Amino acid sequence: METLGFLMDGFGVALQPHNLMFALLGAFLGTLIGALPGLGPANGVAILIPLAFSLGLAPETALIMLTSVYAGAMYGGRISSILLNIPGDEPAMMTCLDGYPMAQKGKAAEALAISAIASFIGSLVATVGLILLAPLLANFALTFGPAEYFALFLLAFATLGGITGKNPIKTVVAACIGLMIATVGIDNTGVQRYTFGVLELYEGVDFIIAIVGLFAISELMFFIEDRAGGGKEKMKVNKLTLTWREIREILPSSLRGGVLGFIAGVLPGAGASLGSFIGYTLEKKVVGKKGYFGKGDPRGVAGPEAGNNGASSGALVPMLTLGVPGSGTTAVLLALLISLNITPGPLMFTQNADIVWGVIAALLIGNFLLLVLNIPLVGIFVKLLSVPPMYLLPIVTMIAFVGIYSISNTTFDLYFMVAFGVGGYILRKLEIPLVPVILGLLLGPEMEKNLRHAMDISDGDWMILWDSGLAIGLWVFAGLGLILPYIIGPLLRRRMQNPIEEGTPGSD
Amino acid sequence: MTFNDRIFGVLMIVLAVAYGWGATQFPEPFGGAESVGPDTFPLLLAVVLVLSSLYMIVRPDPDHAWPWSRTGIELIVAVVVLILYALLLQPLGFVISTTLAVGTLCWRMGARPLNAYLTGAVSGVVVYFLFSFALDLALPLGVLSFLEVN
Repeated sequence: METLGFLMDGFGVALQPHNLMFALLGAFLGTLIGALPGLGPANGVAILIPLAFSLGLAPETALIMLTSVYAGAMYGGRISSILLNIPGDEPAMMTCLDGYPMAQKGKAAEALAISAIASFIGSLVATVGLILLAPLLANFALTFGPAEYFALFLLAFATLGGITGKNPIKTVVAACIGLMIATVGIDNTGVQRYTFGVLELYEGVDFIIAIVGLFAISELMFFIEDRAGGGKEKMKVNKLTLTWREIREILPSSLRGGVLGFIAGVLPGAGASLGSFIGYTLEKKVVGKKGYFGKGDPRGVAGPEAGNNGASSGALVPMLTLGVPGSGTTAVLLALLISLNITPGPLMFTQNADIVWGVIAALLIGNFLLLVLNIPLVGIFVKLLSVPPMYLLPIVTMIAFVGIYSISNTTFDLYFMVAFGVGGYILRKLEIPLVPVILGLLLGPEMEKNLRHAMDISDGDWMILWDSGLAIGLWVFAGLGLILPYIIGPLLRRRMQNPIEEGTPGSD
Repeated sequence: MTFNDRIFGVLMIVLAVAYGWGATQFPEPFGGAESVGPDTFPLLLAVVLVLSSLYMIVRPDPDHAWPWSRTGIELIVAVVVLILYALLLQPLGFVISTTLAVGTLCWRMGARPLNAYLTGAVSGVVVYFLFSFALDLALPLGVLSFLEVN
């Protein structure tokens, strides 16, 4: 029951008035970010990081705020899936299948409310899972030596594309680019590497600049290219008439979705898209012929939505306990941790217990806030959908500029950010994922440090890297992470496409 | 001519070789060579990048459409606007440079010029006041510095 005590302390941190205020602000901003067109969760969190810095927030407050943003963005993303049949991000795809038909039948408000409740339950289930699992995993991770960590980082890269990923070799290329950028600067032995005598490069490349550039600027360029500047037409939402019976009906679906989502989120390489996919297919199987999936069955909204949110909370487990994020957004949260001088990993649970448990408690509180925010305020968020990107994206870019500028008050960083944006655009055009680049930037120094420690221990014998059973296991999984997408990836992708084509009659 | 996986792969190999060669040029760290010197990790990366780029050259994905003509020019305009924004932020001050940059971007993305620059001006003023009064952060005033109250 040690955990319970820590959790109580965590609530003590999270319930402090100013932390609570920032959690509320974060939840609101997050939903906004999720609802606005062209702003995914990773993107939104990235833009807010420099602002959290320049505000001089205490580490736990900054983390609480951005975790709430993260949770909020997941809520916001479903609004456009249900009303416009446009998933805000990949995991929201499954919500379209029954959410959009519900909206077409004039039950948009019910669909939105059901998805909010399901999201809440999914997150709640997964947060409880996080509370139970994280300390155990952190304890286990304490047995890791440098060789195991090195292998673990490789595993993180290898599984980042997910088993549904298209071309794992591009993940490798992207990871290499990120790791290479991370080697710029003065290393631990005091040698200058790739600085070309430029003073600004001595301390290395600030990953916050890289992240904001890669996400925000490249997003702007994509919108310009697609000429998708116009707004969507306004959506009408009917008055909410949800009965307790209807809520009771979706409860089992939400619980199942949440559990599955959590498992998918914790496992490396599965991620939220798989979480919501499994959530949906399982619902279809369990309910069987009685359901009318694809034609606006509320359970088809609840299952994947709970799965999606469960997975996003589950993804925090490897990030908090091992320091290895499993998704783009958790990678951005990791960037925040590192820049707050908190070393992520198992030691965080002992050294920064107040912060970790504060964040976990904030996740629980944030979910209540989101549920309360979302049902009455859904009208406001719906209106946001019609904000035309041609006004929105330039302003978002400007906020990114301000944020980066306010970190160091130099324009050098701004040029750097634009350069990263152009690079990010080219990579995205070539379908080279950006998240491994960011992960490389973040994990590069740690990876090299662990390699160095391992080699110091073994006196230069490379065999130490696969000397223990645990290390071998990690290497094997990393290898599978790269090979499996070639074998079962196409199969899974096809199956994820199929229900979508069947499920959206009359679209396109 | 399109910029595809093959060309990118070749570029990455060039980069990897240059990067690896750069690693061999590092001076030996103070205190003598260790089993993992400053060059070990970069050399490893160079090898992995060469191998994976080779794979991209041998088995490339299908080519993608690149916006060369008009959209390409729009993209270049956008990047130039961003660079000028960074360049002019301090001399012109935040409000004016934001009006110009956000306005131009909105306009090029399809808004009517008046609305575009109005959006730019309003957002610039709002963010400026938000930062200097609510958040207590100084953004450069530039040529508007005669308006400074304190």
